[in-house]
Amino acid sequence: MRRSVKPIFYAFAAVLAVCLAVPSLAASAEQPRRVTVTGEVIDPWCYLSEIMWATGSAHHQCAVWCARGGIPVGILGDDEQVYIVLKVENDAGVIGHRGILRVQSNEVVVEGDLYERDSIKYLAIDTIIDDHGIVNYSHEEFDIQPFGE
Amino acid sequence: MTKSAKLLIAALMAIALFSFSDAALAADSWGLPDEEEVRFDAKVIDVLCVLSGDCPPDCGAGKRLLGLLKEDGELVLPIKNGGPFTGAVADLLPHCGETVTADGLFTINYGVKTFAVQFLRPAQGKWRRANGFVNEWAAMRGLEAKDKAARRWFRSDETILEIIGEQGKLGLKDKGIEP
Repeated sequence: MRRSVKPIFYAFAAVLAVCLAVPSLAASAEQPRRVTVTGEVIDPWCYLSEIMWATGSAHHQCAVWCARGGIPVGILGDDEQVYIVLKVENDAGVIGHRGILRVQSNEVVVEGDLYERDSIKYLAIDTIIDDHGIVNYSHEEFDIQPFGE
Repeated sequence: MTKSAKLLIAALMAIALFSFSDAALAADSWGLPDEEEVRFDAKVIDVLCVLSGDCPPDCGAGKRLLGLLKEDGELVLPIKNGGPFTGAVADLLPHCGETVTADGLFTINYGVKTFAVQFLRPAQGKWRRANGFVNEWAAMRGLEAKDKAARRWFRSDETILEIIGEQGKLGLKDKGIEP
């Protein structure tokens, strides 16, 4: 009798463990929403802190500095929302990413998963649909930000 | 003076010194929008891991966005550290998965709340200025973080020089537009 009960007990314990583990993992992750975003690749620190004019060609050099310095990169959407970039083309190595440095200030159209948490919109981009280059010639009004050089 | 009185004075001086050094490490105001000087405990986490369940063992080795997860569940985004044009990943990465005390500034603008970390203290550790990127950048080039070249790292960084050399300071060199 004992021999026949043991395997059932172990199987039950294993199923119970899986049942307990899976919901806790699922609960720890957020449910993303598929989105398409059109907007300018920005340095969100300078934009959100308003320490200088922080969009377009006037701020291009500074945006490259900040992205290289490990400040997160964002997209200022046409909807005036700031999206913090978590992934680009499924690469999560976004900090100091050379490809991202090269598209600073560009207007892009991207598709990906949007996670919203504690007032921040995080965007995991899987597809860059289009890259229009720099279309915001803000230097005509603001010169080079900061320092003028 | 008795021996016990001397010990008491020494203990009080030590407490005063400790209190002063702790206070001296409180965040400086930067005049940010809706700025709040804060100090809180939080766990250093990989943001993508918390949001999606995609969790490499080392928080992404410095290439992923890192965050601070407070005990009440708030996920704080440290968007900036105390250095010039630098973020906080280099400061946080050594403490991946650990609880730290962070001191700095919350700022809220356009409905987005972010955090500029100025000082960090690991559990059981000492306060340190959050200047990890410049420290690492300088060390890799045989410099001290206090050297002028390190403080102005953005003017001589090889990657930046390469990209700005190609694109121009306005990013419009390919269109023939340069300052």
